[in-house]
Amino acid sequence: MTRTPACQFLITLLLATAFCGGGCKGKKASPTGEPPPEPPAAPISALEVKAVTADLSVPDPAAPYWKDVARGQVALLAQPMVTPRPEATTTEQLIVAAVHNTTHIAFRLSWADTEASEAGRLGEFSDAAAIQFPVGDMNKTPPMMGGPELPVHIFHWRAQYQRDAEQGKPEMTALYPNMSVDMYPMEFKEAPGGSPQEREGFSPGVAEGNPQSYQKAGVDEIIAEGFSTSAVQAGHSSAAKAVWHGGRWTLVITRPLTIEGGSTLAVGQETGVAFAVWQGGKAEVGSRKSVLMSWLPTRVL
Amino acid sequence: MPKVNNWHLGREIEYPYDDHRPAKQWAIVFDLNKCIACQTCTLACKTTWTSGKGQEYMFWNNVETKPWGGYPLAWDLRILEKLGRQEWGAKGEYLGKTLIEAAPANERVLHFAPTDEDWMYPNIGEDDCGGGNVDGGGHMAELPHDKWFFYLPRTCAHCTYPACLAACPRKAIYKREEDGIVLIDQSRCKGYGECVRACPYKKSMYNPYTRVSEKCIGCYPAVEQGLQPQCVVNCIGKIRVMGFISPPGKSRRDNPIDYLVHEKGLALPYYPQLGLEPNIYYIPPIHADRDYLLQMFGPKVDDAIAAYQALPDDPRANGLLCLIGSTERIIHRFDVKGGVAVGFDDKGAELVRVPVTEKVIERAAFDARLGAIRNNTP
Repeated sequence: MTRTPACQFLITLLLATAFCGGGCKGKKASPTGEPPPEPPAAPISALEVKAVTADLSVPDPAAPYWKDVARGQVALLAQPMVTPRPEATTTEQLIVAAVHNTTHIAFRLSWADTEASEAGRLGEFSDAAAIQFPVGDMNKTPPMMGGPELPVHIFHWRAQYQRDAEQGKPEMTALYPNMSVDMYPMEFKEAPGGSPQEREGFSPGVAEGNPQSYQKAGVDEIIAEGFSTSAVQAGHSSAAKAVWHGGRWTLVITRPLTIEGGSTLAVGQETGVAFAVWQGGKAEVGSRKSVLMSWLPTRVL
Repeated sequence: MPKVNNWHLGREIEYPYDDHRPAKQWAIVFDLNKCIACQTCTLACKTTWTSGKGQEYMFWNNVETKPWGGYPLAWDLRILEKLGRQEWGAKGEYLGKTLIEAAPANERVLHFAPTDEDWMYPNIGEDDCGGGNVDGGGHMAELPHDKWFFYLPRTCAHCTYPACLAACPRKAIYKREEDGIVLIDQSRCKGYGECVRACPYKKSMYNPYTRVSEKCIGCYPAVEQGLQPQCVVNCIGKIRVMGFISPPGKSRRDNPIDYLVHEKGLALPYYPQLGLEPNIYYIPPIHADRDYLLQMFGPKVDDAIAAYQALPDDPRANGLLCLIGSTERIIHRFDVKGGVAVGFDDKGAELVRVPVTEKVIERAAFDARLGAIRNNTP
């Protein structure tokens, strides 16, 4: 029989399936806690943030105060400004609510996603969402990642980062349980006299101090001044917690009202927020995302 | 979109950034007639650069058997299939679309995304023959046979117009001015995998431990010291040489790479039709299927093979081929005179001197002085 490329490809895929066993399935984020109910909400063109008496430094999607807070729906579109961009909008609606307690502000986002996805192996991308604030004047700052000298302050949650925060950064043995490795030469640096820096010297991302290569705390704080400029900031004043249940993510990102060197919200004042959502199961990452096309005016009452 | 000049294709192409050639351009020439797939290059690279976590299946240099092999699986077939049939003109100019010109409106580069499993079989298809009709059981049943295969060693091509660089939305990939080496900034990459999708040669690879992408770095720490990359200096078959290639108008006859590529037309870029101006060049294997070679190396392949077959009559080219593998330093200039080939560094200092034809010394089978029989086995 003449072997065709397609035939060879099929054989290899079968081999791959046989060798991988169950370990090749993508890691799924598991739901934690009780799922909050999410009835439909009316569209909004502005957001009012009422005060509550509660500790908002810890994000809690199921906290009782969310029951008394007005929720609104905003429409997202496939990011249209830069390539690569999604072919179609994957997250069309985002339900938004927010509360503050004069020191912290918490945003609760809820969106439909038929599968919970978490990055790990090649080709696996994480579900994610981000909230963006202008550092300066909302009316001058472009809502798409800001612009030169018009920075935006972004809080970027990923299911992958939440897993890091809850279970630690996964080792290769967790990502590829059936993989066979003879040895890692640099592991011998664990011997007396060796240092962690030496062990990680041949893991370039780690050695270069790339935040992506270190354990995440659930949410990244990012400053950007336009497309291609986002930079993760050191230190964490924010926190995030999300629950996936029944085809829906519910995420709370909480942050201090005032963040030195970043965006500041104040009681009685109005600013803007914008949102982005990534569906990892549909290979959304980076600029492949659904976004709110303009600032949502937000008044802290 | 800006237009840039791609001399592989004999025309301007679209590229997201302005035309700018580096001061020097890193390049490797491989003689595919000599490669035996010993994988010494692969292991030299592996032990130097990719022995860490998340790099277990990562081979910045690999050697695959053509037509069946591919790392990752069927990388070439899949991108060619996506691009579809394209045409070359009668004068060797490319009439078709490049990957950037053929990109859908929402993408920067026409691409495919390899899956994890695609990278798991780096040596698949090794020594499998192509061509002819092999029905009737095992394809090795009839020997000698007229089937063909050849070995294709591959590194990153440090393209003049890299698809990885074009595709990165974070601008985390850059091309060095001093040597044209293309690098992924390991402190800035966020692991989106756009370069892994976009590179048609699939030489950007994802590290799931560091969660960023990595690729061949052209052994830049060695190159900065005037040394050739590990895969080159460890090649036991001496089939490859690294140096700097000039654009055609600035070709120097005493530059080894220019001589092989421009002056003799011996070495050709692979899959030039993809439009990236890759800077690894191959002397095509003379025995392989010509249609296949035409697809891989473009319309100049017949001339390249004819030039190769005429080499015995060319003392200068013979001299240069003798220099390949004779020094680990980068040869910037060479000369062949009086049956001796000499290589020089960038300052004109002599690096190496080799005879074009080694002396043949015949010795009697019996060594009378030692009273011993001489043989060829140590």
